Amino acid sequence: MTTHGTQHNELAAAPAKPIQVRNKAWAQVLTFLMVFGPGLIVMEADNDAGAVSTYAQAGAQYGTHLLWLLLLLLPICYFVQEMVVRLGIVTGQGHATMIYRRFGKWWGRFSLADLLLVNFLTLVTEFAAIALALGKLGVNPIFGVPVAAIALTALVLTGSYRRWERIVVFLCLLDLAWFAIAFQVHPVVGDAVKHMLAPSLPGGGLTSSWLFLVIAIVGTTIAPWQLFFQQSCVADKRLRFSDLKWARLDTLVGAVFTILVAGCMMLAGNAAYERHWDFTDPAQMAVQLGGVFGPFIKNAILLLMINAAVLGTTTISLSSAWAYGEVLGWPSSLQKPIKEAPGFYAVYALCVLVAAGIVLIPGAPLQLIILSVQVLAGIMLPSAIVFLQLLLNDRQVLGENFANKPWNNVVNWAIVVLLFVLSLLLAVQVAAPNLFANT
Amino acid sequence: MTMTRLDDNVQQERTVFFVVHPLDAMPEEKVETEHLGPMRMTRTVRICLFALRGYLSLMFGLLAFRVLQLAGVIHG
Repeated sequence: MTTHGTQHNELAAAPAKPIQVRNKAWAQVLTFLMVFGPGLIVMEADNDAGAVSTYAQAGAQYGTHLLWLLLLLLPICYFVQEMVVRLGIVTGQGHATMIYRRFGKWWGRFSLADLLLVNFLTLVTEFAAIALALGKLGVNPIFGVPVAAIALTALVLTGSYRRWERIVVFLCLLDLAWFAIAFQVHPVVGDAVKHMLAPSLPGGGLTSSWLFLVIAIVGTTIAPWQLFFQQSCVADKRLRFSDLKWARLDTLVGAVFTILVAGCMMLAGNAAYERHWDFTDPAQMAVQLGGVFGPFIKNAILLLMINAAVLGTTTISLSSAWAYGEVLGWPSSLQKPIKEAPGFYAVYALCVLVAAGIVLIPGAPLQLIILSVQVLAGIMLPSAIVFLQLLLNDRQVLGENFANKPWNNVVNWAIVVLLFVLSLLLAVQVAAPNLFANT
Repeated sequence: MTMTRLDDNVQQERTVFFVVHPLDAMPEEKVETEHLGPMRMTRTVRICLFALRGYLSLMFGLLAFRVLQLAGVIHG
């Protein structure tokens, strides 16, 4: 296969450890399983501690009335992430590198600085959630948070991409327990299906809190770090041109799984909505639900909160470490031992350990950090998507085979416009909070 | 390629598939981007980057305004 004069010699690879099979279907299943990982991880890790809080809050405030939004976000998630898969497979480079190379140093530095800042602030919120959930489980966060930070650092230090991926895929699959929680809280299935398929307004009509919860859900479901993470992950795993269809399937499976899990979180929140309970965080919701449905529900939600934060922490820290290392030209791969990629591992460890340390500082301004994450992520997302869209139309890099087709562009520009509008609404709210107060 | 089809027509006429993990295969040659230089400034690219600068200026301006308002430097 030839693309723009570059020879992609797919058969040049001498199989190091081939698995020999006689059945074509079985060979395809095995190939998919080998490619499977980055898509599921990037999607499910986005159901991080902040997402658990947002979806549970959406359920608690509006019941099942916002399930339609999740269904709408499913194709959006897929289309956005499918583009980075293509870019990663064709170039073998991370997203930060491509922005530097194709848009110059100014935009490169802006994107990198913005990514590192938002990622770091998000990590602080992940550890805040770990501290909160551990506290409710009776574990002192002073001991629990450092243990979590050390374990998260050790997770990447094995010098094996595959080991990291297998552990993280296992953690993603633990989120299947959300289905058991949704089943246990006995939602009215008819209402849930109706509200998922037909958008409807809650009883109070269109209010500012409804609008900003919608913005929060969109911002939670599509995050800038995901673009950087999946492209670097695809490059680190050295996915081949022939793997593209399986990587797309992996991304689709990840998107469907993540949206279903998010729906289950909303259903858990809906149980609080039906009982007119008010809560400020999902840990409090877990305790309240535990009082009615038993300790399984309480402990499961608290442990899944920790799992969500752990998944968020390892992927977000990796997106920072990959992006920073790539731009500086450092060796940046989970396949390399520490002595061969010290800078890459140092950035990862620094992100994790400093974020954990901030959470343990008494009186740390966590509310201000949470607000900053929302605002900065809201500002960054539309610009990240614009770069992605321009890169995917870069025929000098992608050629006709892999560049966006006209229908891709129609869909993606619609997503860009939607994100800009939501981002501007968020900005207006930040600048003039009283404007929507009485709506 | 992930699956290599071999026709073993000497011993037995059966097809064999070899499945190789991407990390076990020899690295594939990718499109070279290091020496391409910056993207060509077509009208679409220029408009997008101009709009992005405007958007970012507006957003950071609003943010700075709000921060100053909260700090009590600007009233109203």
